[in-house]
Amino acid sequence: MSEGVSDPVRESLEPWIGKSISAAGLSRAPDPVNLPMIRHWVDAFEDANPIYLDADAAARTRHGTLVAPPAMLQTWTFPRPKIDGIAERGGAPDEIPDDHPLKILDRAGFVGTLATNSELTFERYLRPGDHLVSDVVLESVSALKKTSLGQGYFVTWVSTYEDEQGEEVGRQMFRIFKFDPSTIDPAMLGGAG
Amino acid sequence: MTTKPIAKGDQVTPLDLQLTPTRVIATSIASRDFMPAHHDPGFAKSQGAPDIFLNILSSNGYVSRFITDWAGPEAMVRKIAIRLGVPAVPGQILRFTGEVVATRHEGDEGVVEVAIRAANDLGDHATGTVELSLPVGAVAV
Repeated sequence: MSEGVSDPVRESLEPWIGKSISAAGLSRAPDPVNLPMIRHWVDAFEDANPIYLDADAAARTRHGTLVAPPAMLQTWTFPRPKIDGIAERGGAPDEIPDDHPLKILDRAGFVGTLATNSELTFERYLRPGDHLVSDVVLESVSALKKTSLGQGYFVTWVSTYEDEQGEEVGRQMFRIFKFDPSTIDPAMLGGAG
Repeated sequence: MTTKPIAKGDQVTPLDLQLTPTRVIATSIASRDFMPAHHDPGFAKSQGAPDIFLNILSSNGYVSRFITDWAGPEAMVRKIAIRLGVPAVPGQILRFTGEVVATRHEGDEGVVEVAIRAANDLGDHATGTVELSLPVGAVAV
Protein backbone atom coordinates (compact mmCIF):
# COMPACT_ATOMS: atom_id res chain seq x y z
CA MET A 1 0.00 0.00 0.00
CA SER A 2 1.51 3.31 -1.05
CA GLU A 3 1.61 6.51 1.02
CA GLY A 4 -1.50 8.64 0.92
CA VAL A 5 -3.88 5.83 -0.02
CA SER A 6 -6.57 5.62 2.61
CA ASP A 7 -6.44 2.62 4.94
CA PRO A 8 -9.72 2.26 6.84
CA VAL A 9 -8.29 -0.37 9.21
CA ARG A 10 -5.44 1.85 10.31
CA GLU A 11 -7.76 4.88 10.47
CA SER A 12 -10.03 3.02 12.88
CA LEU A 13 -7.04 2.58 15.21
CA GLU A 14 -5.94 6.21 15.00
CA PRO A 15 -8.18 7.44 17.86
CA TRP A 16 -6.46 4.99 20.24
CA ILE A 17 -2.93 6.25 19.69
CA GLY A 18 -1.64 7.92 22.85
CA LYS A 19 -4.58 6.53 24.85
CA SER A 20 -4.83 3.84 27.48
CA ILE A 21 -5.65 0.40 26.08
CA SER A 22 -5.60 -1.33 29.45
CA ALA A 23 -8.66 -3.58 29.26
CA ALA A 24 -9.86 -2.84 32.78
CA GLY A 25 -8.52 0.69 33.15
CA LEU A 26 -5.63 1.10 35.57
CA SER A 27 -4.58 -2.34 36.72
CA ARG A 28 -3.82 -2.61 40.42
CA ALA A 29 -1.70 -5.62 41.33
CA PRO A 30 -3.84 -8.31 43.02
CA ASP A 31 -1.14 -8.58 45.72
CA PRO A 32 1.76 -6.47 46.90
CA VAL A 33 5.26 -7.64 46.05
CA ASN A 34 5.67 -10.65 48.32
CA LEU A 35 8.15 -13.34 49.31
CA PRO A 36 6.06 -16.43 48.38
CA MET A 37 5.71 -15.30 44.75
CA ILE A 38 9.39 -14.34 44.64
CA ARG A 39 10.33 -17.79 45.98
CA HIS A 40 8.11 -19.46 43.35
CA TRP A 41 9.88 -17.44 40.60
CA VAL A 42 13.38 -18.04 41.97
CA ASP A 43 12.74 -21.80 42.16
CA ALA A 44 11.31 -21.94 38.62
CA PHE A 45 14.26 -20.01 37.17
CA GLU A 46 16.83 -21.69 39.45
CA ASP A 47 18.21 -18.20 40.06
CA ALA A 48 20.99 -18.39 42.66
CA ASN A 49 21.27 -14.62 43.22
CA PRO A 50 20.99 -14.42 47.05
CA ILE A 51 19.43 -10.92 47.12
CA TYR A 52 15.95 -12.34 46.46
CA LEU A 53 15.60 -14.81 49.36
CA ASP A 54 18.60 -14.53 51.73
CA ALA A 55 18.00 -11.46 53.93
CA ASP A 56 21.51 -11.53 55.48
CA ALA A 57 23.22 -11.77 52.11
CA ALA A 58 21.00 -9.00 50.70
CA ALA A 59 21.87 -6.78 53.68
CA ARG A 60 25.58 -7.11 52.85
CA THR A 61 25.00 -5.73 49.34
CA ARG A 62 24.06 -2.20 48.31
CA HIS A 63 20.46 -3.44 47.92
CA GLY A 64 20.39 -3.43 51.73
CA THR A 65 17.31 -5.63 51.96
CA LEU A 66 15.47 -8.37 50.07
CA VAL A 67 14.37 -7.31 46.61
CA ALA A 68 12.28 -8.86 43.85
CA PRO A 69 13.79 -10.16 40.60
CA PRO A 70 13.48 -7.17 38.25
CA ALA A 71 12.00 -9.22 35.39
CA MET A 72 8.97 -9.96 37.61
CA LEU A 73 7.69 -6.42 36.95
CA GLN A 74 4.77 -7.46 34.72
CA THR A 75 4.03 -10.51 36.86
CA TRP A 76 2.86 -8.33 39.75
CA THR A 77 0.09 -6.58 37.84
CA PHE A 78 -1.24 -9.37 35.61
CA PRO A 79 -4.98 -9.65 36.23
CA ARG A 80 -6.14 -12.87 37.87
CA PRO A 81 -6.63 -15.38 35.03
CA LYS A 82 -9.95 -16.79 33.86
CA ILE A 83 -8.96 -20.43 33.41
CA ASP A 84 -12.22 -22.11 32.35
CA GLY A 85 -12.01 -22.51 28.56
CA ILE A 86 -9.27 -19.79 28.34
CA ALA A 87 -11.66 -17.48 26.45
CA GLU A 88 -13.11 -20.42 24.52
CA ARG A 89 -9.66 -21.55 23.38
CA GLY A 90 -8.82 -18.25 21.72
CA GLY A 91 -6.02 -18.23 24.25
CA ALA A 92 -6.59 -14.93 26.09
CA PRO A 93 -6.75 -15.61 29.84
CA ASP A 94 -8.43 -12.24 30.49
CA GLU A 95 -11.34 -10.42 28.89
CA ILE A 96 -10.60 -7.97 26.08
CA PRO A 97 -13.39 -5.53 25.15
CA ASP A 98 -14.71 -5.59 21.55
CA ASP A 99 -13.54 -2.06 20.73
CA HIS A 100 -9.94 -2.80 21.79
CA PRO A 101 -7.37 -2.14 19.01
CA LEU A 102 -6.26 -5.77 18.92
CA LYS A 103 -9.89 -6.89 18.51
CA ILE A 104 -10.35 -4.37 15.69
CA LEU A 105 -7.35 -5.93 13.92
CA ASP A 106 -8.64 -9.47 14.56
CA ARG A 107 -11.99 -8.59 12.98
CA ALA A 108 -10.22 -7.14 9.93
CA GLY A 109 -8.45 -10.49 9.40
CA PHE A 110 -5.14 -9.62 11.07
CA VAL A 111 -5.48 -12.50 13.51
CA GLY A 112 -1.82 -13.54 13.59
CA THR A 113 0.38 -12.19 16.37
CA LEU A 114 4.16 -12.21 16.49
CA ALA A 115 6.02 -10.44 19.30
CA THR A 116 9.01 -8.60 17.86
CA ASN A 117 10.50 -6.33 20.56
CA SER A 118 10.51 -5.91 24.32
CA GLU A 119 12.31 -3.17 26.17
CA LEU A 120 12.17 -3.26 29.97
CA THR A 121 13.50 -0.34 31.99
CA PHE A 122 13.83 -0.49 35.77
CA GLU A 123 14.00 2.71 37.85
CA ARG A 124 14.56 0.79 41.06
CA TYR A 125 14.34 -2.74 42.43
CA LEU A 126 11.06 -3.58 44.12
CA ARG A 127 10.83 -4.68 47.74
CA PRO A 128 8.24 -6.85 49.49
CA GLY A 129 5.33 -4.54 50.35
CA ASP A 130 5.47 -2.40 47.20
CA HIS A 131 2.01 -2.38 45.67
CA LEU A 132 1.98 -1.57 41.96
CA VAL A 133 -0.47 0.01 39.58
CA SER A 134 0.05 -0.27 35.82
CA ASP A 135 -1.31 1.42 32.76
CA VAL A 136 -0.84 0.60 29.07
CA VAL A 137 -0.79 3.26 26.36
CA LEU A 138 -0.90 2.56 22.62
CA GLU A 139 2.21 4.31 21.33
CA SER A 140 2.05 3.71 17.58
CA VAL A 141 0.60 1.68 14.73
CA SER A 142 2.68 1.40 11.57
CA ALA A 143 1.39 1.70 8.04
CA LEU A 144 0.43 -1.63 6.45
CA LYS A 145 3.66 -3.58 5.88
CA LYS A 146 4.48 -6.55 3.69
CA THR A 147 6.80 -9.08 5.37
CA SER A 148 7.67 -12.76 5.17
CA LEU A 149 4.68 -13.36 7.46
CA GLY A 150 2.30 -11.61 5.13
CA GLN A 151 0.73 -8.19 5.46
CA GLY A 152 0.15 -6.54 8.76
CA TYR A 153 0.79 -3.74 11.21
CA PHE A 154 3.49 -3.22 13.81
CA VAL A 155 1.67 -2.23 16.99
CA THR A 156 3.66 -0.72 19.86
CA TRP A 157 2.46 -0.08 23.38
CA VAL A 158 4.14 1.10 26.57
CA SER A 159 3.22 -0.22 30.01
CA THR A 160 4.15 1.91 32.99
CA TYR A 161 4.35 0.74 36.58
CA GLU A 162 3.96 3.01 39.61
CA ASP A 163 4.29 2.43 43.32
CA GLU A 164 1.79 3.64 45.93
CA GLN A 165 3.49 7.06 46.02
CA GLY A 166 2.82 7.46 42.30
CA GLU A 167 6.53 7.13 41.47
CA GLU A 168 7.34 5.25 38.30
CA VAL A 169 9.35 2.12 39.15
CA GLY A 170 9.65 0.72 35.63
CA ARG A 171 8.21 0.48 32.16
CA GLN A 172 8.02 -1.86 29.20
CA MET A 173 7.85 -1.02 25.52
CA PHE A 174 6.37 -3.93 23.63
CA ARG A 175 5.94 -4.34 19.88
CA ILE A 176 4.00 -6.99 18.02
CA PHE A 177 3.29 -7.66 14.36
CA LYS A 178 -0.42 -8.28 13.77
CA PHE A 179 -0.69 -10.03 10.42
CA ASP A 180 -3.21 -11.62 8.08
CA PRO A 181 -2.11 -15.28 7.75
CA SER A 182 -3.94 -15.62 4.41
CA THR A 183 -1.42 -13.19 2.87
CA ILE A 184 1.68 -15.22 3.81
CA ASP A 185 3.96 -15.87 0.84
CA PRO A 186 5.50 -19.32 1.54
CA ALA A 187 8.52 -18.45 -0.59
CA MET A 188 9.44 -15.71 1.91
CA LEU A 189 8.87 -17.70 5.11
CA GLY A 190 11.75 -17.77 7.56
CA GLY A 191 12.00 -19.42 10.95
CA ALA A 192 10.40 -16.65 13.01
CA GLY A 193 7.44 -17.56 15.17
CA MET B 1 31.21 -14.76 39.17
CA THR B 2 33.86 -12.29 38.09
CA THR B 3 36.41 -10.75 40.49
CA LYS B 4 38.46 -8.22 38.50
CA PRO B 5 36.81 -5.01 37.26
CA ILE B 6 34.52 -5.49 34.27
CA ALA B 7 35.86 -3.92 31.09
CA LYS B 8 34.82 -3.50 27.49
CA GLY B 9 35.36 -6.71 25.54
CA ASP B 10 34.73 -9.02 28.53
CA GLN B 11 32.66 -12.10 27.78
CA VAL B 12 29.73 -12.97 30.01
CA THR B 13 29.96 -16.54 31.35
CA PRO B 14 27.73 -18.48 28.91
CA LEU B 15 24.58 -20.18 30.19
CA ASP B 16 23.50 -23.38 28.45
CA LEU B 17 19.92 -23.99 29.43
CA GLN B 18 18.52 -27.40 28.51
CA LEU B 19 14.96 -26.33 27.88
CA THR B 20 12.41 -28.93 29.02
CA PRO B 21 8.60 -28.80 29.12
CA THR B 22 8.97 -28.53 32.90
CA ARG B 23 11.11 -25.40 32.65
CA VAL B 24 8.82 -23.78 30.05
CA ILE B 25 5.72 -24.47 32.14
CA ALA B 26 7.23 -23.75 35.57
CA THR B 27 8.52 -20.35 34.46
CA SER B 28 5.30 -19.40 32.62
CA ILE B 29 3.19 -20.13 35.67
CA ALA B 30 5.68 -18.50 38.07
CA SER B 31 5.37 -15.37 35.92
CA ARG B 32 1.55 -15.77 36.07
CA ASP B 33 1.23 -16.09 32.30
CA PHE B 34 -1.56 -18.61 31.66
CA MET B 35 -1.67 -18.37 27.86
CA PRO B 36 -2.08 -21.99 26.66
CA ALA B 37 0.71 -21.66 24.06
CA HIS B 38 3.12 -21.90 27.02
CA HIS B 39 1.74 -25.09 28.60
CA ASP B 40 -0.56 -26.91 26.13
CA PRO B 41 1.25 -28.57 23.16
CA GLY B 42 -2.01 -29.18 21.23
CA PHE B 43 -2.93 -25.52 21.50
CA ALA B 44 0.57 -24.33 20.57
CA LYS B 45 0.56 -26.54 17.45
CA SER B 46 -2.90 -25.29 16.45
CA GLN B 47 -1.34 -21.80 16.39
CA GLY B 48 1.44 -22.89 14.04
CA ALA B 49 4.18 -23.28 16.67
CA PRO B 50 6.25 -26.50 16.70
CA ASP B 51 5.58 -27.05 20.43
CA ILE B 52 4.91 -25.07 23.61
CA PHE B 53 7.43 -22.25 23.90
CA LEU B 54 8.98 -19.98 26.50
CA ASN B 55 6.95 -16.84 27.28
CA ILE B 56 8.62 -13.47 26.92
CA LEU B 57 8.60 -12.75 30.64
CA SER B 58 10.68 -15.89 31.06
CA SER B 59 13.07 -14.94 28.27
CA ASN B 60 13.65 -11.73 30.25
CA GLY B 61 13.84 -13.67 33.52
CA TYR B 62 16.56 -15.97 32.19
CA VAL B 63 18.44 -13.02 30.68
CA SER B 64 18.41 -11.37 34.11
CA ARG B 65 19.67 -14.61 35.73
CA PHE B 66 22.37 -15.05 33.05
CA ILE B 67 23.63 -11.51 33.72
CA THR B 68 23.65 -11.66 37.51
CA ASP B 69 25.14 -15.20 37.60
CA TRP B 70 28.15 -13.45 36.04
CA ALA B 71 28.01 -9.94 37.53
CA GLY B 72 27.12 -10.97 41.08
CA PRO B 73 24.67 -9.82 43.75
CA GLU B 74 25.75 -6.15 43.71
CA ALA B 75 24.46 -5.82 40.14
CA MET B 76 21.34 -3.82 39.42
CA VAL B 77 19.81 -4.55 36.05
CA ARG B 78 18.61 -1.24 34.61
CA LYS B 79 17.40 -2.27 31.18
CA ILE B 80 16.72 -5.39 29.11
CA ALA B 81 16.01 -4.58 25.45
CA ILE B 82 15.51 -7.58 23.18
CA ARG B 83 14.45 -8.30 19.66
CA LEU B 84 12.54 -11.57 19.50
CA GLY B 85 13.22 -14.26 16.91
CA VAL B 86 12.58 -18.00 16.85
CA PRO B 87 10.57 -19.63 19.62
CA ALA B 88 12.45 -21.24 22.53
CA VAL B 89 11.03 -24.77 22.48
CA PRO B 90 11.68 -27.79 24.73
CA GLY B 91 14.18 -30.45 23.68
CA GLN B 92 16.82 -27.92 22.69
CA ILE B 93 19.55 -26.06 24.49
CA LEU B 94 18.96 -22.33 24.76
CA ARG B 95 22.47 -20.84 24.89
CA PHE B 96 22.98 -17.39 26.38
CA THR B 97 26.13 -15.49 25.44
CA GLY B 98 27.14 -11.87 25.90
CA GLU B 99 29.94 -9.36 25.53
CA VAL B 100 30.55 -6.04 27.26
CA VAL B 101 30.29 -3.37 24.58
CA ALA B 102 30.58 -0.20 26.71
CA THR B 103 31.32 0.93 30.26
CA ARG B 104 31.05 4.30 31.99
CA HIS B 105 31.10 5.81 35.47
CA GLU B 106 28.09 7.70 36.81
CA GLY B 107 28.83 9.12 40.26
CA ASP B 108 29.41 6.14 42.57
CA GLU B 109 28.09 3.67 40.02
CA GLY B 110 29.76 1.85 37.18
CA VAL B 111 27.46 1.23 34.25
CA VAL B 112 27.96 -1.72 31.93
CA GLU B 113 26.30 -2.30 28.60
CA VAL B 114 26.23 -5.91 27.39
CA ALA B 115 25.23 -7.19 23.94
CA ILE B 116 23.43 -10.48 24.53
CA ARG B 117 22.15 -13.36 22.44
CA ALA B 118 20.03 -16.37 23.32
CA ALA B 119 20.05 -18.96 20.52
CA ASN B 120 18.91 -22.53 19.91
CA ASP B 121 19.04 -24.96 16.94
CA LEU B 122 16.39 -22.91 15.12
CA GLY B 123 18.38 -19.65 15.31
CA ASP B 124 18.35 -16.54 17.47
CA HIS B 125 15.59 -16.52 20.06
CA ALA B 126 16.51 -13.12 21.50
CA THR B 127 19.21 -10.58 20.75
CA GLY B 128 19.70 -7.19 22.30
CA THR B 129 21.31 -5.25 25.10
CA VAL B 130 21.30 -5.29 28.86
CA GLU B 131 22.38 -2.30 30.93
CA LEU B 132 23.42 -2.91 34.52
CA SER B 133 25.13 -0.95 37.24
CA LEU B 134 27.68 -2.03 39.85
CA PRO B 135 29.67 -0.20 42.53
CA VAL B 136 32.07 2.10 40.68
CA GLY B 137 35.19 0.10 41.62
CA ALA B 138 33.83 -3.00 39.90
CA VAL B 139 33.80 -1.37 36.47
CA ALA B 140 36.85 -0.27 34.46
CA VAL B 141 36.45 2.51 31.93
